Amino acid sequence: MQTVIETKSLCKQYGTRMAVDHVELHVPQGCVYGFIGPNGAGKSTTMKMLLGLIHPTSGSVRLLGQPLTRESRLALLRQTGSLIENPAGYLHLTAQENLEIVADLKGVPHKDIGRVLDIVHLAQDRSRKVGQYSLGMKQRLGIAMALLGSPKLLILDEPTNGLDPAGIQEMRALIQDMPAATGATVLISSHLLGEMEQMVEQVGIIDHGHMLFEGPLAELQRHSRGSVTLRLLDPAKAAPILRAHGIAADGGCVTLPPLRDDLLAALVQQLAMNGAGVVELTPHTKTLEEIFLSLTANEEAD
Amino acid sequence: MLKRCIVAENRKLHASPIWAMFVVLPLISAGYGTFNYLQNLEILTEQWYSLWTQHTLFYSMLFFPAMVSAYAAYLWRLEHMGHNWNLIMAVPVRPFDLFLAKFLVVVKLMCFTQVFVYILYLVCGRLFAGFTDWPPVSTLFFMLRGVLGGLAVAAAQLVLAMLIRSFAVPIFLGLVGGIMGMLLGSKGFSLLWPYCLMQQGMNANRSEDMLAGNAVPFLLACAGWLAAVFVIAGVVLEKRDVKA
Repeated sequence: MQTVIETKSLCKQYGTRMAVDHVELHVPQGCVYGFIGPNGAGKSTTMKMLLGLIHPTSGSVRLLGQPLTRESRLALLRQTGSLIENPAGYLHLTAQENLEIVADLKGVPHKDIGRVLDIVHLAQDRSRKVGQYSLGMKQRLGIAMALLGSPKLLILDEPTNGLDPAGIQEMRALIQDMPAATGATVLISSHLLGEMEQMVEQVGIIDHGHMLFEGPLAELQRHSRGSVTLRLLDPAKAAPILRAHGIAADGGCVTLPPLRDDLLAALVQQLAMNGAGVVELTPHTKTLEEIFLSLTANEEAD
Repeated sequence: MLKRCIVAENRKLHASPIWAMFVVLPLISAGYGTFNYLQNLEILTEQWYSLWTQHTLFYSMLFFPAMVSAYAAYLWRLEHMGHNWNLIMAVPVRPFDLFLAKFLVVVKLMCFTQVFVYILYLVCGRLFAGFTDWPPVSTLFFMLRGVLGGLAVAAAQLVLAMLIRSFAVPIFLGLVGGIMGMLLGSKGFSLLWPYCLMQQGMNANRSEDMLAGNAVPFLLACAGWLAAVFVIAGVVLEKRDVKA
């Protein structure tokens, strides 16, 4: 599979602060890639470097298999749609006029405007001034601008920001279907992890300018091995075994720390053979938030 | 690419309040000039030429730079206010073409303004000053030369408005530029300051042609200033990080 976005040691320094610190992104073709991190982690800065809006201090960017340079930039932008930071727009003009401006600048025929308005459900409001739009509508107009010309790559910076739950749900459905519907690869950032879990296949986690994790969401979830609760019929018989493993036992329910499957199986067998009466084994998976916190904590401990 | 940018710029001016200023400022300028002329008939004896000086002295020193500054500031304000920098810099057009398109739109507005000012001059001359003939052709020529002199002002104001997010500050700087232009012009340094070129081109405060025999240095200065400002704009757009 082709890698649509690839960065090597991408850095951006502001004064003495490294806003983006040796970031290596690998976004495979045809996926929705969630770029996740708290506010100020370096997501927008990275995305702006991908578009050539700001210049990296060091490192390089490849988009759609080509290095991003001054010469290649326009050709690459022609295949890219983006929504960065805040939704843009000319407030004294209607949505239709705004899209006409963007279509003109992108060199896209105006007949594409109806299509993108339908996708973001703004066809009814196309003749209203954007100044009268709610934030959610502006956000959707921003997506429509990005979608003009059916780009191969979409870079969306916090597109769910400021949306109500119904809007978020709608946006999620829209973005999730995009690779299948248009063949586009989507890079989408968010500081809300729960939001991402339902729409992305690949994730990159960034904090303080560092990438903490990158890979398939499923792999991240494997990292998410949580604690296991054991319910025992005879805690007294279990106590010496558990103590030997450094686990405190009090009462019939015992919480085990995250364990590898083979170790857990061996422990359960040992408990059963000693007559502790294992009746229930409940695994707890960490939420993405917890995984993120543990990744961040590891990073700080290093 | 440039053509697409110009089409987009023109679209942004739909329903824009800039047109109100386009009408009002030249009216004030013409009213003031005509009033001045009628109050000083004993010293202003050269009829159409005298009316020309009264119409264009304050126009070219204050009203023109203020208007061009406001046109430029308005065009960039649209980008500053709507978070549009990220949008316009991420579309597949050369950043300098975005600047050039704005420049051409300001020049278009500037030409309309000049024509409107000239029409007001004609109307005021016939209606209020009571002239029965038509003005000398040279005034038309001065007007066209004013446009040439104004090109670098338009470009310079676009650079200021691009760099300064405030709407008022670049307009204030435009006014300072205009006043400095008058001072430098009166000291004979008119080619060294773009705002001065416009005033000289318009032949604003004398009845004899200030540029007689000096057309070539004037044209070179216009071209030189314009090229210098374009280079600055190009470098800024190329090197600077986009802040929305």
